[in-house]
Amino acid sequence: MGTNLLDAELVKRVQGGDTAAFDLLVQKYQHKVINLVGRFVSDKSECQDIAQDAFIKSFRAINSFRGDSQFYTWLYRIAANTAKNYLASRARKSPGYSVDVEDAEHFEGESGLKEYATPENLLLTDEIKATVFGAIEKLPEDLKSAITLREIDGLSYEEIAQVMDCPIGTVRSRIFRARDVIDKELRPLLE
Amino acid sequence: MKELDEKLSLLLDDYADEDIDAVLDEVTADVNLQYRMRRYQMIGEVMRHELPETIDTDFHHHVMAGIKDQAQSSATTATESAAPLALVPLTARIWFRPFAGVAVAASVALVTIALWQPLQQGTDPQDGGLASADQKKIQQLGQQIQGSAVQASSRVQSDGMRWKLEKESPVLQQKLNAYLVNHTEYSNSMQGLIPQARVAGFDAQQ
Repeated sequence: MGTNLLDAELVKRVQGGDTAAFDLLVQKYQHKVINLVGRFVSDKSECQDIAQDAFIKSFRAINSFRGDSQFYTWLYRIAANTAKNYLASRARKSPGYSVDVEDAEHFEGESGLKEYATPENLLLTDEIKATVFGAIEKLPEDLKSAITLREIDGLSYEEIAQVMDCPIGTVRSRIFRARDVIDKELRPLLE
Repeated sequence: MKELDEKLSLLLDDYADEDIDAVLDEVTADVNLQYRMRRYQMIGEVMRHELPETIDTDFHHHVMAGIKDQAQSSATTATESAAPLALVPLTARIWFRPFAGVAVAASVALVTIALWQPLQQGTDPQDGGLASADQKKIQQLGQQIQGSAVQASSRVQSDGMRWKLEKESPVLQQKLNAYLVNHTEYSNSMQGLIPQARVAGFDAQQ
C-alpha cells in the first residue's frame, strides 16, 4: 500500500518549516516505529522513549531527506540505528550499582524511564481491538469486503473495483462508509 | 463535514491528488480532523494486528515537545555563546586599552599639527605666531576630535601673541606647550619672534 503522495507532501511541508505536518507523520508512523524498536529492545517502556528519540532525530535530519526512497524507509533506518545505538551504549555501561532490599520497593531502575505498560494502557489496547473487530463484524458485506480488501490485502481502489465488480467511485464510498461506522464506535474510547 | 471526512479517507489511501494541499491545510489547522485521521489509521493497524501492546495517546505530543525543547536549548546556547559586550567589564576588554591610548595620541597630534601649520605657512605678524592660527581650522579640528577620550576643544583669541586653551584640558595644554617650545626653537620661521629670544613657554590665561 503506497503512501508516496501524502508522505511526500508532508515531508515537503516539514522541510518548509511546518511542524504540524511532522506531527501528522508522527501520528501516522508512531506504532510502526514502536513495533520496529520493539524487535530490538524487549523493555516496552524503553521502546516508547527510543521511538521518540528516533522521531526527534528524523525531524532534525529532515532536510537531508531527498526523496530517493520512501519516507518510511528512511525513518525505518533511523529508528533501527537509534535502537542499535541504545543497545550498544547500554552494553558499555557497567552495572556498578546495588540496591538494598529495603530500597528495592522504590527503585526505579537505572534509567528511571516512564512506565507505559500500565494496566490502563493495556486495557485500552484490548478495548480498541475488541471495538474495531466488533464493529467490522456488524458491517454490511459490501462494506466489510471493501475495507478488508483495502486494509488487510492492500489492494488498490482499481483492483478492489475489479474484484467486487463495481466502479471505483463505489469502492471509494464503501471504504469511507466502513471507516465512518467503525470510527463512531472507536471515538469514545480515545477522546 | 462528511465530504471532508471522505477526503480524509482518500488522503489516507493516497487518492486525494487534486485536493491534497487543501485537505492538508484543513487537517493541520484542525486537531479534531487530526484525531479522526489517526483513528482511521488505527482501524487499519488493528485489522493488520500492527497495534502495539501498549498505546500512548500522547506519544506525538511527547515527540513535538522534545523537538521544541531541543530547539529552545539550541537557541539559548547560541545566545549565550554570543554574550553581548556590554556584559563584559570594560577592564576585561584587553583590546580596548591600546585603542584608547592610540585615540589620545592621535588627538594630541591632530591638535598640534593644526595649530603648528600656520607657523610654517607664514602668517600675519600682527597676529603673532600661534595667534594667527586659522580659527576655522581649529574649529574643524575640534569637531574631528570631539569624540575622543580627550577633550581638545580650543578657542583661539587672535589678540596679540597670546592664545589660550579652555580649562577643559590642562594636560593637553602642558603637552602643547612643550611641543610648541621645541618646535619654535627649531623652526625656520622667525616671523613674530625676536631672533635672540627663546620662547620659554606659552601661557594660557587661567
